[in-house]
Amino acid sequence: MIARVRAMRPQELAAAAFRLREIGIVLALLVVIVFFGARASNFLSVSNWQDIAQNVSIVVVVAVGETMVVLTRNIDLSVGSIVGLCGYLVAATLAHHPGVPVEVVALIAMAAGLGLGLINGLLVAVARIPAIIATLATLAIYRGIDAEITGGKNITASQLPDRFLSLAASKPLGFPALAWIALGVAVVGAATLRFVPWARDFYAIGSNPDAARFAGIPAGRRIIIAFALSGALAGLGGFLFASRFPTLDSGAANGFELTVITAVVIGGVNVFGGSGTVLGVVLGAVLVATISNGFTLLRLDEFWKIFFNGFAIVAAVTIDSLVTRRLQEALRRRRAELLVPSPARADA
Amino acid sequence: MKSLTLRILLRWETLLVVAIIAVGIWSATLSPFFLNRANLLDLVTPYVFVGLMAFGLTFVVITGEIDISICSTLAASIVSFAQIFAAGVNVWAAALIGLCIAGGLGLVNGLLIGVLNLPSLAVTLGTLAAYSGLAFVVLSGEGVATFPESFTKYGGGYLAGNELPIALLVLVAFALGLGIVLHGTRFGRYLYAIGSNREAARLSGIPVTRVRVTVFVVSGLMAGIAGLVYVGYFGSARADAASTSLLDVVTAVVLGGVGIFGGTGSMPGVLLALILVAEVRSGMQLANLSGQLQNIVIGVLLLAAIVAGNLISAARTGSRPARLHRRRKGVTANARADAQVLVDSNP
Repeated sequence: MIARVRAMRPQELAAAAFRLREIGIVLALLVVIVFFGARASNFLSVSNWQDIAQNVSIVVVVAVGETMVVLTRNIDLSVGSIVGLCGYLVAATLAHHPGVPVEVVALIAMAAGLGLGLINGLLVAVARIPAIIATLATLAIYRGIDAEITGGKNITASQLPDRFLSLAASKPLGFPALAWIALGVAVVGAATLRFVPWARDFYAIGSNPDAARFAGIPAGRRIIIAFALSGALAGLGGFLFASRFPTLDSGAANGFELTVITAVVIGGVNVFGGSGTVLGVVLGAVLVATISNGFTLLRLDEFWKIFFNGFAIVAAVTIDSLVTRRLQEALRRRRAELLVPSPARADA
Repeated sequence: MKSLTLRILLRWETLLVVAIIAVGIWSATLSPFFLNRANLLDLVTPYVFVGLMAFGLTFVVITGEIDISICSTLAASIVSFAQIFAAGVNVWAAALIGLCIAGGLGLVNGLLIGVLNLPSLAVTLGTLAAYSGLAFVVLSGEGVATFPESFTKYGGGYLAGNELPIALLVLVAFALGLGIVLHGTRFGRYLYAIGSNREAARLSGIPVTRVRVTVFVVSGLMAGIAGLVYVGYFGSARADAASTSLLDVVTAVVLGGVGIFGGTGSMPGVLLALILVAEVRSGMQLANLSGQLQNIVIGVLLLAAIVAGNLISAARTGSRPARLHRRRKGVTANARADAQVLVDSNP
């Protein structure tokens, strides 16, 4: 085994480390399922799994967008507020104009999210405000706008058309509709990050912003795109959120950014940017949502989930940084060996 | 070189004073009571705990890091304090234990960031959630509100014929004390050196790791002290205390002219910015604006402060851009090599 690792080329070594991460999440997921399955009687029931699938779906949709931002060595703290604001927009549109097709409402939510994300991107790339500060401010601003629009009132399920309410409950091919949408977003997102040149630039910018600029990558424009996509997907997340939790007030999805960022960080996206995969993020989202669901079934309070999310972020970042440091050391040694073949290797 | 007058005019603190006067005039037109001596003295009292947290955060930001867990540290510290007090322990002994807990939570941040070299943003985002969860675990949703007056007067009491808030004196005392530490001691100079260039600071013999850990302990302790004032002012300790104050704290620090990339900033600036934030909020209350609408304004103020700071440093000729340029040059050689690799690997 060790001999095989030693024989690997640098690229293979890095790929192996990623696979190890994804296998690690799957193993953790199995442990969690066995644990909660033994403790909570209804955990393994079909209806509970559909419940989890619906919750995972919303997290996945928003987390794919957040991933793009984090890859560029930035962060978007405003996604919770965008989900809340767009969710309310969806509900309010349908409550006042019941005739509007559901697809059009989804597009409206995405367009609104895109606009809000664009503002984030411009603040970071053009006004040169660090992402943490810029999105902390827009988190408060977007939530404030949400509160101003709702004016302390809320929209209840009874005001919404049945077409919309049945969306979350419908199961094309035996799978919740929300999960199909999330699967679509994940596949398109993964393909984009793998094959599309401007999305590959996210990795380059995150690895070394200066180098990316010297290589001719328009870093500012790419960062704006990443934030705009994150906003648009948060807008779509708002649409899904409204269909799943149709009673909305100005506090909807408050703190949701924490769940999303936990999924992204557990999923192996480096907080310094430059590395991470959509597959990892999806697995991270499944793990977070499963644990959260198990906590609910065990009747643990909401704050245990908050505590767990925070703890998971710190733990994931710690493990990541230790692994990355080892990996970089190994890669440096490997490069040196490739440049100057050692006599021992020549003999063998 | 520009003239001395222009340089004084372009000083950030001068602009803050001008802004404070301008908002004061606006507030005075909204209510004839605004300019009462008692009202002016009481203006900052509800925001003293915000200011104390901002002072701690200032130390962190000057070293080029961030601590967004302070509000949760405050909550975790005061609910522990309240539980211990409710169990029958003397209020000052309980407060001391609360402070130790706050310092301990800061130490955890400091060790993760300073020793393990983890990014402060990710770590304190995690502990923001973890500490607030912890606060709820200690005191599940209830509040403790039976503190003796001898304790609460430091948050909500008055001196000199019921006009001079004691909390204001606490704030000024800490501003002075921490200002002296920041601007007058070797430790303070270390913070600027580390924030300007951590590698250079390490090579010149500064105990970088120890200083960075200490800074987060200071930040935690200040959150604990802010918590005691908070309990004094509001008369109760709850697990969701101060959970919405992060925006105000960060705004006070950034608006105070502390550079978000580290290496610059002053204590008087942060104090002035806190007064401005308090004044803007109280003015908006006079104008009957809702809390959420106020948050929008504070958020815009935060963004505007950074943009204005960027514009002013661009307007200043001479030293600063040149120094930045020199620092970039070292980076350039590395970056060019990396760029070549990038170009080579992408057909």
